[in-house]
Amino acid sequence: MTVTLLVDSLVRSVQVGSLYALMAIGLTLTMNVVRLPNFAHAEYITIGAYTALIVSLGVSSNPLLILGAAFLVTALVALGSHHAVFRPLEKHRTSTYTMLLASFAVGLILRYIVFLLADYFELFDRRIQIPLEVWYRSSVVILTNIFFWVVPTSIGLVIAFSLLLNRTPLGREMRALANNFDLARIIGIRVGRVVNLTWLLVGGLAGVAGALWGLYTSVNPLIGWFAILSVFAAAILGGLSSFPGTILGAYLVGLSENTLMQILNVTIGLDFSFKPAIPFIIIILVLLFRPQGFTEFLRSNRGLRR
Amino acid sequence: MNIDLFATLIALLTFFGIAALMAISLNLEYGVAGIPNFGQALFVSIGAYTTGVTYTRLLPLLAGQEAINPCGATLAPALQLRSEIMRTMPAVGLGNFVLTLLIAAVIGGVVGYAVSYIILRLKQEWYLALVLLVGGETVRIFVRGYQPIVCANNGISGIAGPFAWVGNTQTASILFALLVLAFAGAAYWYSEKLARSPYGRLLKAVRENEQVARSLGKNVARIRAQVMLIGSAIAAISGVLFALNIGFVSTNDYVVTLTLDVWVMVVLGGLGNNRGALLGALLITLMDRATAITAIQLNRLGTDIEFNYFRYILFGVILLLMLRYRPRGLLPETRFTTPAHQYLARSQETGDARSP
Repeated sequence: MTVTLLVDSLVRSVQVGSLYALMAIGLTLTMNVVRLPNFAHAEYITIGAYTALIVSLGVSSNPLLILGAAFLVTALVALGSHHAVFRPLEKHRTSTYTMLLASFAVGLILRYIVFLLADYFELFDRRIQIPLEVWYRSSVVILTNIFFWVVPTSIGLVIAFSLLLNRTPLGREMRALANNFDLARIIGIRVGRVVNLTWLLVGGLAGVAGALWGLYTSVNPLIGWFAILSVFAAAILGGLSSFPGTILGAYLVGLSENTLMQILNVTIGLDFSFKPAIPFIIIILVLLFRPQGFTEFLRSNRGLRR
Repeated sequence: MNIDLFATLIALLTFFGIAALMAISLNLEYGVAGIPNFGQALFVSIGAYTTGVTYTRLLPLLAGQEAINPCGATLAPALQLRSEIMRTMPAVGLGNFVLTLLIAAVIGGVVGYAVSYIILRLKQEWYLALVLLVGGETVRIFVRGYQPIVCANNGISGIAGPFAWVGNTQTASILFALLVLAFAGAAYWYSEKLARSPYGRLLKAVRENEQVARSLGKNVARIRAQVMLIGSAIAAISGVLFALNIGFVSTNDYVVTLTLDVWVMVVLGGLGNNRGALLGALLITLMDRATAITAIQLNRLGTDIEFNYFRYILFGVILLLMLRYRPRGLLPETRFTTPAHQYLARSQETGDARSP
């Protein structure tokens, strides 16, 4: 019995951790390239999930099509929010707090537009229409096709994204921008184009993550908001500036939310209603005792900044 | 109809007073001292949870009776006991009110001081914003999961204002509105005095350039923590009044959107200007009521759209438009002259620096 619970929680940890990694690398990239702790990232996740839901209800239940649509729609929303809000504000040389506040406002507007539409079309707590199949069954664990969609897709995208950042000219330009914005401009990098592509990528990845998250649970207008603080926890654990660190942080957050929670529940009887507090406690502890994150031993940790 | 209108006005004034307290507290912290407090909901909720605890535990003790567990099976007798005490024993009710305010202000202030003193020494300043935001949610999750504070999910109802003994509900609500406005007035007067004092100029110096202030030998972290102490205490007091006004303490009220509402007030009114904070609080309170009433009316017409969501969209749009086109707010921060400045200006006119 206990073994089943443990294995089951480990499976969930891997699943959730992969999704957090996918969400958190986008957030880390926004924080470094455009220097914005973007709380509207939560709403990109929600929009991705809703796009997936709508496509699965109305068009097709082909997972590739669903994920592609989620990527496209969310990428455009992210680019739109950059052009409508963040870029005009940046031009006025506003402070980080103003940008933070603006990202909250964008998030608020997007979230309640989703609420309005979801309410009107009765799309609260719906499941994405993909037939559930059992692909692996043993005495302790059952793995469905959802697991095999979520985990390899997330890991694959994270790897593809890291390769893009480290091996392509675009990635090099992004890193240059993260390192020194003015210098990047001086040496002739087309800053506007790189920033636009960054927003498209960040939005698209958040959208795919949202769609996969929606496969894993059900879709409602708050799923992004509930995930975002775990994602911030992952990014902060990784020191806010590195990909390997962020990915490690994401799995650590996933592990503590599922396996650690399960262990605490079995051993000291901690109720599952305290589960949402885990990422918050991680954030607070890391910021209090190790604000530079826990992963500076990773060789490429200083990759994005300095 | 007339009476109805009058009651609406009283309710509006009460809401305005409470909003004004929150806005003044944030204006002091962010507008004057430049500390990004994204944990307004945390400090307001500290006040509200304190109210939940004192009105169920302390109140019976002050009345010389045994406290009854307000949750679960003994919910009804506990509710009856506290409304009985509040109705019949004015001294106990008022005493409990004053004690609640004191306890809430102390807890809020200490939490604000401690958190900011630790975090503000870090390099990345928006960490404080994040920690306070996250702290508010963490406290909320714990209170929601831990029965003894405010009965977890159920909340605590039947918390009457300090004037329940008056008997007449309308008189009681008028008295409470006056009390809230008096608190708001006092907070306005105090923060206006503070902002114009030498200490206030020090705060503005820290806001404008931290390095300069530090190079002049000022302990920036401590100064900011002190402001957080004052601001959080005011926010906690507003939380007590908030809980007493709606007569109910529930963890669902103290979420991030509350924090954002206060930010909208301050940004709309004008950062660093206490009159702006009052104006922002007034406008947002009016808008909040207006959208709520419109939503009810429109939904009564039988449309399928839930108009309550428009409130949040509207507030988000206001915030963005203000940040973009009037970042200094409707009433921008004004210059003010100290007595020394006035003396200098006068003496330059007369040409003699020594003549008064």
